[in-house]
Amino acid sequence: MNAVDAVNAWAEAADLAGAFLLLLGCFQSLLGVIGMLRFPDVLSRSHAATKPQTLGLLLVLAGVALRLRDGIDLGTLALIAFFQFLTGPVASHLVARSAYRTGQTGSRGLLRDDLDPQLSDEDGR
Amino acid sequence: MSNLFRDRSPYSWSLRVGTGRRVLDLPLIAWLTVIWNLLWGTLSWGNLVNGVLVAVAVCLAFPLPAVDLGLRLRPLGILRLGAYLLYDMFSSSVQVTRQIFADDPYHAAVVAVPLRSRSDLMLTATAVAVSNVPGGSIIEVRRATATVFLHVLDADDPGAIDSARRSVRRTEELVARAFGTAEDIARVARPAPDPEGDPSP
Repeated sequence: MNAVDAVNAWAEAADLAGAFLLLLGCFQSLLGVIGMLRFPDVLSRSHAATKPQTLGLLLVLAGVALRLRDGIDLGTLALIAFFQFLTGPVASHLVARSAYRTGQTGSRGLLRDDLDPQLSDEDGR
Repeated sequence: MSNLFRDRSPYSWSLRVGTGRRVLDLPLIAWLTVIWNLLWGTLSWGNLVNGVLVAVAVCLAFPLPAVDLGLRLRPLGILRLGAYLLYDMFSSSVQVTRQIFADDPYHAAVVAVPLRSRSDLMLTATAVAVSNVPGGSIIEVRRATATVFLHVLDADDPGAIDSARRSVRRTEELVARAFGTAEDIARVARPAPDPEGDPSP
């Protein structure tokens, strides 16, 4: 009887922690959206558009994992995290690269730019 | 298990099929089979056999060029890299949140960070790892000089650029210790190429 109670208590605790992580993940993704609205230029917005979502998705996946608690499902969730981690940067890099090359670095300009001289050198050649 | 875990000559775990370039890369087939089984959601002998068949068929139909990636899997290093990335994601996320709700405008900057390793895999893996952490996004990578160009969100603070550069180098070191060959690790153990931080011509 005691053992069953203990198992139930653990299951409940895992459910509760999972729900908390889900909520945290959603909140993290919401922060990304607010950042999208508040940041002025493409490069800053790409910060807000990609990274908070990655962390948010990781938290949501962790929350789901705590509620599912099943071996092969955990593997599938890990696979989702792996591919999110691998593909997100490719998209964000392409956006940032084209934004920079079309001069959309914001109206206030950059405080320091190490890349511009190197690109100008190439154009001169 | 294979050369992935040790410094050994590449392709000691592959089968040559026929006379052409068709090479069956056994770690790749194992990985594809794992993905197949995870996507089906149930582990059974049928799924396992089908997975192997599909993986072999895919490898034969779309042969990859025989390139030595220089990939090694070091379990301890991978754990340390994962822990560091998780910690970094949370702590940088707090910082970015503060910038989202800041009233006064901040100034962004593009910073060049020369890396120490020269292998393509290390460069790619470092760029991907850095891109996933809030606060710095990669806008350009120079392969010839192994330099990444980082867009730093809040560069007003004089220490911000330095700390961004330090964090990229720390990530690079951990990536090399997780996935790199012995040579990569030796390169990464050297001091940073130029403390001034000016991009090398």
